[in-house]
Amino acid sequence: MSIISNRITGFWGKFGRTIAYIVMILFAFMAIAPVIWLIINSFKSTIEFQTDMVGMPNNWVTSNYKGAWKIGHFSILFINSIIYTFFSVGIATILSLMTGFAFAKIKSKATKPIYSLLILGILLTTQTLMVPIFIQVSQLDMSLGQLFENLRICRASDFSLFYNSRFGVILVYIGSILPIGIYLSYEYIKGIPTEMVEASRIDGASYNRIFFSIILPMAKPIMITLFLLKIPQIWNEFALINIMVSKLNLQSLPLGIYKFSGTFATDYGKQFAALVIGLLPMLMFYVVFRKQITESIGEGALKG
Amino acid sequence: MLNKDKEEKKAYRRFVIPSLVIFLFVMAFPIILSFVLSLSNFSGGKMFGGSRWKITGLQNYSYLFSDSYFWNALLNNIYLVLISVFGQLPLGMILAYLIYRKTVKGGEFWQGILYVPSVISVIVIGIMWNLIFSPYGPVSQIINDINTSSFTKEVMAVLNGHLDLNGSLVVNSSLIKDLININAQSAALLGNDPANVLATFLKTLGTENLKETGVLLTNLLCPKWSASFLNERGVSMLPILFVTLWCWTGMYLILFLANMQKIDPQTLDSAQIDGAKESTILRHIILPELSGVIMNSAILCISGSLSTFDLIYAMTGGGPARITQVLSIYMYEKAFTGTPNYPLSNAISIMMVVFSLILIGITKAVQKKLEGNR
Repeated sequence: MSIISNRITGFWGKFGRTIAYIVMILFAFMAIAPVIWLIINSFKSTIEFQTDMVGMPNNWVTSNYKGAWKIGHFSILFINSIIYTFFSVGIATILSLMTGFAFAKIKSKATKPIYSLLILGILLTTQTLMVPIFIQVSQLDMSLGQLFENLRICRASDFSLFYNSRFGVILVYIGSILPIGIYLSYEYIKGIPTEMVEASRIDGASYNRIFFSIILPMAKPIMITLFLLKIPQIWNEFALINIMVSKLNLQSLPLGIYKFSGTFATDYGKQFAALVIGLLPMLMFYVVFRKQITESIGEGALKG
Repeated sequence: MLNKDKEEKKAYRRFVIPSLVIFLFVMAFPIILSFVLSLSNFSGGKMFGGSRWKITGLQNYSYLFSDSYFWNALLNNIYLVLISVFGQLPLGMILAYLIYRKTVKGGEFWQGILYVPSVISVIVIGIMWNLIFSPYGPVSQIINDINTSSFTKEVMAVLNGHLDLNGSLVVNSSLIKDLININAQSAALLGNDPANVLATFLKTLGTENLKETGVLLTNLLCPKWSASFLNERGVSMLPILFVTLWCWTGMYLILFLANMQKIDPQTLDSAQIDGAKESTILRHIILPELSGVIMNSAILCISGSLSTFDLIYAMTGGGPARITQVLSIYMYEKAFTGTPNYPLSNAISIMMVVFSLILIGITKAVQKKLEGNR
């Protein structure tokens, strides 16, 4: 950074600086005070919370966590969240890079219409479509189930490929990532010199080989960007899984916490513990990858 | 050559079709399905070979347009759009600017803290703030603590004014009158004859321990503050708007700051050497450089605010009495609670898509015009 831009002149001066610090401190306090309040109160018993909601606990209890973890089936929720996040972000990233590669490096008349369709998908969030998606997946299961029952493969009621299935959830998540994923991949791969692809083509390399041995290694930065942007988003996703899943053993962490807080609305101790369990994984993810996440937000923005 | 073309086409299909199929399945087809259902009288059951349903026309839309809940939900969505575009974006911009121009030092530190709300699950955030704002939550407690301590002071002042020479309290009508005068409203809640109630109270209490008497009188007379006013129409959206601001401002701060840092520092240096004022630098260097990002953020803000669901679902569930409902919650309610009304729910979904497209179109047009002016 330059020397001169360090110096603030004129109106700003000392007074402006003080105001700026006050604003910053105020915002920073507002940002983390509620979270700290939540964490502190998760160590109070429900009775203590009801008598004092603001102060420090007189004695720090951990039984809230043990209780919430067991009653809320958090081990199942955690495993599910990991499965959903890992597979949907992983597969969506690979698919995005594949499509971005084809759009950028293989000439085709189809690129323009398909690409503009996909771009529209960035703006129409999947949440808007939760009701039709629900109807679509449940109808598909019903119809396919009926078909399989007629073919004597299985009972119609046992068939759930899309609704109440991990596959269905992951599929919908992949679909929600693809528009922005393809956009970012396309923009990035466009920047990789076409000569590299052409030279390999002349050497007789197949497109598969070019993708895996040239594009994929070079597209590492955009892969990381997609991971860092989408892992928290999918991990925290609620609206879609709320309509895609009704069985407990398929629920994700946010869904489980929502149900938990409804059931244990007055058992504050356990409720706070559940909320802390809910916010901790991504908070830790953020603490570990803070620098990279910050960079990714700059990289992952839509450009002009 | 022909062979090569063929291989190229094959590879293209292999790389594009999987994504395209999933995209069509998750986004394109649901929109079509939604549109068809919004024109029908489908009421659940099997769509094919099961229950009968047919296209009945635009009646769901005409119902929606005369439905006050729909307009209320839309209005709430508009509030959210406004707070996002004119709240989150400017605040993020100001904070980013302060860090970028090093008006405050330790940019990384502030950045790190301010982004924390953006990484937390919106469900957790919603439940947490709901607890904080609840009528008996910590905000009420803090305000009541402050109220009580100042009230106690007033009570003590009155009591100290009615001591006899030995320092013990004289219970007479003037004392009781003064006590009632501290807060006539809550004294009136004591019964038909508050003076009598207070007199009996003081008699049974005895007058030895002045301090204890003061505390007990405070408990009796101090008005209890509660955040229940937030249940009223008109203000019930305020906590939600506040939390929306709380959630995402940090993200825009980081987004704007990252793009400010891409500006060539030499441009700024030479501007300052030329004696450019801070406001000039902001208006003629920083803002123009960021205009693309700002516009795109505005578009994302708008589409995000129009489809917002989680936060309100977790905070109020659209209540009390549907006054904090937004379109997505209303849509959800119509499809998943009570007797499902799928056609109406899908009509809402289509309206949300239409509103997004309109607003995005407007933003794009504004963007074009601004670029044309420059």
